[in-house]
Amino acid sequence: MKKTIIPFGPQHPVLPEPLVLDLILDDEKVIDAVPTIGYIHRGLEMMVERVEYTEMGFVVERICGICSFMHGMGYAVSLESIMNVEVPERAKWLRLIWAEISRVQSHLLWLGLGADAFGFENLFMHCWRMREEVLDIFEKTTGGRIIHSVNRIGGVKRDVSDSELAAILARLQELAKAFEETARIFASDPSIAHRLGGVGVLSAADALETAAVGPMARASGIRTDTRLYGANLYDQIEFEPVVETAGDCLARAVVRMREIPQSIDIVRQAIEKMPKGEGLPLENKPRGNPVGETFTRLEQPRGEVLYYVKANGTKYLERFRARTPTFANIPAMIKLVKGCDLADVPNIILTIDPCISCTER
Amino acid sequence: MDREPFLARVEGYHKGGWRLALINAASVLTADEAEQGAVDVTWAFARDAEFEHIRERIMPGDEVPSISPSFSAAFLYENEMRELFGLNVTGINVDLQGQLYKTSQKVPFSPSAIRARLEANAAAGIASATMPVAGAPAHGAAKPAAIAPAAAPAPAASKPGAAE
Amino acid sequence: MSFFSKSPWIFHYDASSCNGCDIEVLACLTPFYDLERFGIVNTGNPKHADILLITGSVNERNIEIVQNLYRQMPDPKVVVAVGACACSGGIFARAYNIQGGVDKVVPVDVYVPGCAARPESIIDGVVQGIAALEQKRKKTA
Repeated sequence: MKKTIIPFGPQHPVLPEPLVLDLILDDEKVIDAVPTIGYIHRGLEMMVERVEYTEMGFVVERICGICSFMHGMGYAVSLESIMNVEVPERAKWLRLIWAEISRVQSHLLWLGLGADAFGFENLFMHCWRMREEVLDIFEKTTGGRIIHSVNRIGGVKRDVSDSELAAILARLQELAKAFEETARIFASDPSIAHRLGGVGVLSAADALETAAVGPMARASGIRTDTRLYGANLYDQIEFEPVVETAGDCLARAVVRMREIPQSIDIVRQAIEKMPKGEGLPLENKPRGNPVGETFTRLEQPRGEVLYYVKANGTKYLERFRARTPTFANIPAMIKLVKGCDLADVPNIILTIDPCISCTER
Repeated sequence: MDREPFLARVEGYHKGGWRLALINAASVLTADEAEQGAVDVTWAFARDAEFEHIRERIMPGDEVPSISPSFSAAFLYENEMRELFGLNVTGINVDLQGQLYKTSQKVPFSPSAIRARLEANAAAGIASATMPVAGAPAHGAAKPAAIAPAAAPAPAASKPGAAE
Repeated sequence: MSFFSKSPWIFHYDASSCNGCDIEVLACLTPFYDLERFGIVNTGNPKHADILLITGSVNERNIEIVQNLYRQMPDPKVVVAVGACACSGGIFARAYNIQGGVDKVVPVDVYVPGCAARPESIIDGVVQGIAALEQKRKKTA
């Protein structure tokens, strides 16, 4: 059989972002896939040369418009650890709450895009309608729908009043109730089971070998979650990572689906545990310029993100590096694409929840 | 760097059930090292909350062996290091032939490229970082750099395994 | 108004955006903002499209892609640059790999500000794009 090479991307209806895979086909079977990125490469990490460390956070937030809050938080946590800044407790809790709300937002976004990819447009519209509720909460509390800019080195910029937090929780719990119906469709609809079930199976051994992170690894039966290690107040939260064992596209969708009510429950616990009252301190401003280096790990909606920051005592950092979850999941994705049918490629690519602007920075 | 002991150490992590967390390169911007074109490469491994790393200083022309025999997922990092830093990484299992990124500048993260950009900025009067001058005290020399993964909770979980 | 401006088809390309504007473009098409009530359909094929929405600034690698997509669209056509990056390079104008706004590569008719651009302003930009499309059609007719 003659081999065919089909270029997938950079403009493809399934992905809003340009990812390029050269798919090498033997008849309908994919036998190899060669990734090419760089269509969104901005050279953001090298902007540390020209942007002072106090302002670099705003650039880091724009690594990706979906996990924008978490990127801003990761940058702030890194600098706080280098400069030994103690963050006020209420600010830490607010960060945790916003982080979990952005997980809900990101997963709803993905479920919608996923539904669109396997031809279930109705479900896409449903998920995105619910997502608007979450964006409303963000807009009300931070001022921005997508880019929030509430993280500061040493704390957060805005407070959210206790009554407002109670209202947010009520709204989220209502959303969780409405989501039950959507979740039921995902779990029981025969066309979804046909399209996703048994497709793109990643075994637990392969997930370890390819260093997969986040929902990708958890759907293959690996209990991994950076939140378990307790930093950023997660040690005070009771939760058990959602783990599925099938490892197929459906399992990856189900993991994200089950994480939505879980995140809402984490928000509830946080609101109960945080110190109450008006006018509590929210920010301890750092002094001087940072010296030293650090690694920071956070659990983003797509998995573990790693930041490396090296500072040399000037107002410009020497090196900033973000290893985003999609970057870590691409080897697993390529492994899955090999051997699958051409028609399944869009679904497999989508179920890793790719964020190309994160990957290329 | 010593190739065989390094690869043996990496294989030790692989056998111990560690996951490859990150391979990171960083141009060393102290006066002498930047002049020579030194790049620090860090291989970081994670096993649940544990986080360890190996660090080597790479000089121009040095060979950096690929760790793909132990960690097959290393190829993206290694291709990236080669394209952005111009490091001579050998034996990558998936060799993307310099086609991963197609940047407007060649090896934009390398010490020489950084120097060129910073000097151009200074000449044009654009606010930016400056290259350290030989003879002057190095940036940040006052305090030794300490590495700890900030997300790991207790010191027990962070074992800096630096080898230089 | 001709049949043309009553149902223009739009086509979206992400040049080097951070995803922020892209998901807002998509959000415009979902029930809450519902761009489709203007008869607008999002298509994945440039040859079907009347309005090109570009988010993000251009870099070395995607210049030819943007030009190629623009070339494939039938005349008359309108380009809407969505977001600060597409207008001028935005916050990334200082990054080494960024060439600048989309207007360095293809002619832009409507500029939509914002980082990220809000759905309301994107809708406004597209509606202004329809007017520009109508003018161009009259000129060529």
